[in-house]
Amino acid sequence: MSSSRRRRGTGPRRQPSPVASVFSWFYAILLAAPIYYLLMSSLKTNIEIFIHPFSLPTKWLWENFKLAWTTAKLGPALLNSVLICAVAIVVTLFLAVPASYAIARNDNRLSRAISKAFAAGFLIPPFAALIPTVLLAIQMNLFMTREFQMLYLPASALPLSVLLLTQFMRTVPNELVESAALDGAGHWHTLTQVFMPIARPGIVSVTILQLLTFWNEYLFSLTITGTAPDVRTIQVAVPTLVNDSTIYGILAAGTVLSLLPVYIAYSVMSKRMQEALVAGAVKG
Amino acid sequence: MTTTATAPPVGPRSTRSSSALKARRHSRRILWFTAPSLAWFVFFSVGPLLAMFVIATLQWKGLIYKPTFVGFENVARVFADPTFFAAIRNSLVQVGVAVPVMIPLAFMLGFHLYTRPRGHGILSILFFSPGLISISVTGMVFYGMLSPNGGLNGLLNLIGLDDMVRPWLADPATALGTLIAIDLWRGVGWTGVLFSARLSSIPGEVLEAAQIDGAGRMRTMWRIAFPMVKDYTNTLTTLQFLWTMFTSAALILLLTRGGPGTSTTTLSYLVYAKAFSQQDLGYSQVVGVVLLVVGIAGMALISVLFREREERS
Repeated sequence: MSSSRRRRGTGPRRQPSPVASVFSWFYAILLAAPIYYLLMSSLKTNIEIFIHPFSLPTKWLWENFKLAWTTAKLGPALLNSVLICAVAIVVTLFLAVPASYAIARNDNRLSRAISKAFAAGFLIPPFAALIPTVLLAIQMNLFMTREFQMLYLPASALPLSVLLLTQFMRTVPNELVESAALDGAGHWHTLTQVFMPIARPGIVSVTILQLLTFWNEYLFSLTITGTAPDVRTIQVAVPTLVNDSTIYGILAAGTVLSLLPVYIAYSVMSKRMQEALVAGAVKG
Repeated sequence: MTTTATAPPVGPRSTRSSSALKARRHSRRILWFTAPSLAWFVFFSVGPLLAMFVIATLQWKGLIYKPTFVGFENVARVFADPTFFAAIRNSLVQVGVAVPVMIPLAFMLGFHLYTRPRGHGILSILFFSPGLISISVTGMVFYGMLSPNGGLNGLLNLIGLDDMVRPWLADPATALGTLIAIDLWRGVGWTGVLFSARLSSIPGEVLEAAQIDGAGRMRTMWRIAFPMVKDYTNTLTTLQFLWTMFTSAALILLLTRGGPGTSTTTLSYLVYAKAFSQQDLGYSQVVGVVLLVVGIAGMALISVLFREREERS
């Protein structure tokens, strides 16, 4: 890069490269363009989408949103998604918090083996066992129900949740643990009064991260919960707007509606969400 | 295994007194607290994974029928099927292009974000947002964007590149490449944000000292910053590889259904399609086992590659 010759020592602390700036803005436009196209399409007719793909709509067709809502029955789908996410996150925390507490308080071969097992589990993408999981749902008489997802999603979230929570639980100072023990506090008390308050940022991160993962889950919801309007999730409902004569405006409007909850959450707590996702790293 | 989690600072562990020792012996029993989550994980995740090997030996024509044991017959069928080899080829092309392109670009982008260029706030939000968007939304965004009358062709017409206009997902020559481009669209910025977060956690003085010493930007980036996040790069590469390899089924299902022909049939999509469209569970799970083996082999290869480079430098 030509810009490598620079005055020594002076200048800003870190010097951004102008060439990299150009490339990163170019990529930013590449990222934004499909989203902009989506937003514009959601307010247009098919003909206008085809003829003027990137211009503002001549007449803002808000009906698209109403039609998407009723055609894909997005109301019940949103409720199903909220219900599944809420139950699944409660189950996840009830399983993962005590487990990570126990692992954090032990430093022996068994506890290390357990955390290694979870680390290995984190590596295997859930997709690997999709078909046997469908068969399991059938065996349990929970095929085509929301209940199976409520039970299954926590299992898929456990490895990462336990690993992250354990790291936060380990930050509890030993002095606090010992003084709690001297007071004769039982495990339940030590966990809820000593460990959970200190590990709270970790619990919040795991909650945000897994809620987003649950909300966005697609393939298992499609194959196990299915496409029946009374049980399907929002992620499954929106693609049902695709057919032989797709009305792109309505499809785009439905897609925007399914994105809204996530972006509202993001605008309220962008920093927390970013932290949580970076902590959980590459998922999905 | 190194988790990609950013570890909170670990508090100083006090020296072990005898009371601490007693507390520890007492605390060993609480490992029972891990039993429910282990049981849950074994039941819902490990069990189905093992079941895959059993199903691979069965003749099973759809979920409602009774299976019969056929041993290695499925394996023979799979390895005689040209579709299977097309799927292997497509999967290898997909990860062979997507991952080696994504990781260096993401690292450079992450380094750039780390230097806090003007507008880095907006940039990080934009780069970060594919991490918020589900696979089904991504599918729907690009379904519109890439349709014959969609945004991309509209744009090409607009800027006078009419002869590049084509049905991107319906043309066997471009379908797989287009799907890889979507992987990159999603992955580069998001992975870049992760790299930048990681770089911010290493002491800044090292990089500053390098720049004061007159090391050029490229040199500082690749010779000093990169080795410091090498383990993390190894982890991100492994995870991107696994996720690209295993989760491509969803996007393919939404956009191309493996076609045209078999041009976008990857291993992961073949697992899905054989089980649900063609009702051949035995075949599907043989491919599932192959996918798992390729995944593990790829992980091993990536870690060997990273270790070798470490020895050389």
